[in-house]
Amino acid sequence: MVRSLPGRLALYIAALVIAVYSAFPIYWMVLSSLRAPDVLLTSTSLIPGPFTTEYYWNLLELTDYPTQFVNSVIVAAVTVVVTMVFSVMIAYAVTRHRVPGKRLIIGAMLYAYMFPPLLIAIPMFSIFAKLGLGDTLASVIVSHLTLTLPLGVWFLWGFFKSMPFELEEAAMVDGCTRLGAFLRVVLPLSLPGLITVAIFSFLLSWTDYTYALIMIGSDANKTVPVGLASMIGSFDLRWGEIMAGSTLIALPLFGAFALLSQYFIQGLGAGAVKG
Amino acid sequence: MSSKSTIYSFLILGLAVTLLLIVAPVVYAISLSFYRMDSFVGTPEWAGLDNYARVLSQWEFWRALINGFVYSLGTIVFQVVLGIGFALVLNQVFPGRNLVRGLSILPYLLPTVVVVLTFKWMVDGSIGVLTNVIAALGLPPVYWFESPGAAMASVILVSVWMWTPFVTTTFLAALQTVPTSLYEAAKVDGTTAIQRFFHITLPMLKPILTVIVLLRAVWMFNKFDVIWLLTQGGPVGSTEHLAILSYRTAFSLFDIGGGAAIATISFAILSVAVFIYFRMFPLDTE
Repeated sequence: MVRSLPGRLALYIAALVIAVYSAFPIYWMVLSSLRAPDVLLTSTSLIPGPFTTEYYWNLLELTDYPTQFVNSVIVAAVTVVVTMVFSVMIAYAVTRHRVPGKRLIIGAMLYAYMFPPLLIAIPMFSIFAKLGLGDTLASVIVSHLTLTLPLGVWFLWGFFKSMPFELEEAAMVDGCTRLGAFLRVVLPLSLPGLITVAIFSFLLSWTDYTYALIMIGSDANKTVPVGLASMIGSFDLRWGEIMAGSTLIALPLFGAFALLSQYFIQGLGAGAVKG
Repeated sequence: MSSKSTIYSFLILGLAVTLLLIVAPVVYAISLSFYRMDSFVGTPEWAGLDNYARVLSQWEFWRALINGFVYSLGTIVFQVVLGIGFALVLNQVFPGRNLVRGLSILPYLLPTVVVVLTFKWMVDGSIGVLTNVIAALGLPPVYWFESPGAAMASVILVSVWMWTPFVTTTFLAALQTVPTSLYEAAKVDGTTAIQRFFHITLPMLKPILTVIVLLRAVWMFNKFDVIWLLTQGGPVGSTEHLAILSYRTAFSLFDIGGGAAIATISFAILSVAVFIYFRMFPLDTE
């Protein structure tokens, strides 16, 4: 489209405003996490520096951050794997056969998307406390599955619906069993869908604060979001360390986004979203 | 294994997982709302509708309900307007477009904790960068969390920043589905860009916009973490909505039946939204 000069100028300014609005807080977080302590609280210079890595070292050596980071990795990894295994099986069964209970599964999954968090958290906490499994990573994982499984089934259901049945039928005519056809034909072809489910399950689990706050009591079992949030409650606010901790949780997400942005955008469009 | 038994074993597994992870907790939560229970490991005592009567007679409940509506409405209006505006800009051709598109999604990827902590750091007392910008512009200092109105505005501001990218990205994707021939024809007729937006773009994208608003409304109504981390519902309950009231009732006051009753009431309210959703977009399971 050919535009007038003022029109083009307005467009560039609008684009610049969007970029600054979206990215500045993130830029400021990273910059603050690396700014030397003698100027951190006084300088508002937008140019990074003088540099230091001391906050990162403090965080890793003096706090529970490393343990909590490992907890978060465990919780997110298990959540992603379990979500992928179950959601692919459920979604496949639901799309490939006329069976009773199918509407219940799909309806419940979509409904579960919209549950108030406390409606799940109160009974879960009570059940895990009674089982003697309160304050464990397992309880956090199970509560995350109540978010990620519906998401996975819902998304893969849409994905399998659009995949022609003839593909497995051809493989089965050639002597494959249903399970063989599923494993050798359907799964490889659904890789893009599986990646999208993995990304969103990871995102939900990794960024969750609410469920981890409720399920976990001890510092050693906290995930990073809960651990980091409790730093702000302590009496001296160590902004350098807080920003370093924030940067470290955000980094894996940015890394994943940079590599997999097309799956991410496709998932957003198809309704595989986090609240 | 025969074809049928593979499918059925997948399906039974699916049903079992659904019942265990989704149906069971909800049923348990609703049933807890009819019992008195002051410890999570204690034995529940039948209380009938007592919890509901108590909750509904507290004015905190009604305040929380209104706060929830104010918060959801405020966040949705700004998210949708900003998101559509951003999408329209990012749909134009300009150098660096892909970079700006990528940057515009970043807030959505961040954990709530990171967003809240960074916001608190940026507006901190006398040293925050935003505090300094406001002072440099000669504006009076803003007390973000001190007064009820300011606290609600801060909570809405942070939420809008975080969730606008969802609207931007879905709307931007939807814009690609509007046939360009429609715009060309309208342009020949001498329409302005604003007329084309209101007479072509918006009507064409009404269905997707309805989905976006409905989903966002439900999620914003449910949102717990951002408000809890920013204000814990304060000052004096001015940002406390049903999710926070339910959390406080169950986990600070140990009135578990009461907390469950509040969660059940929110669930009932949301079910109306879900019902509308299913009526507008029926499940096509075939």
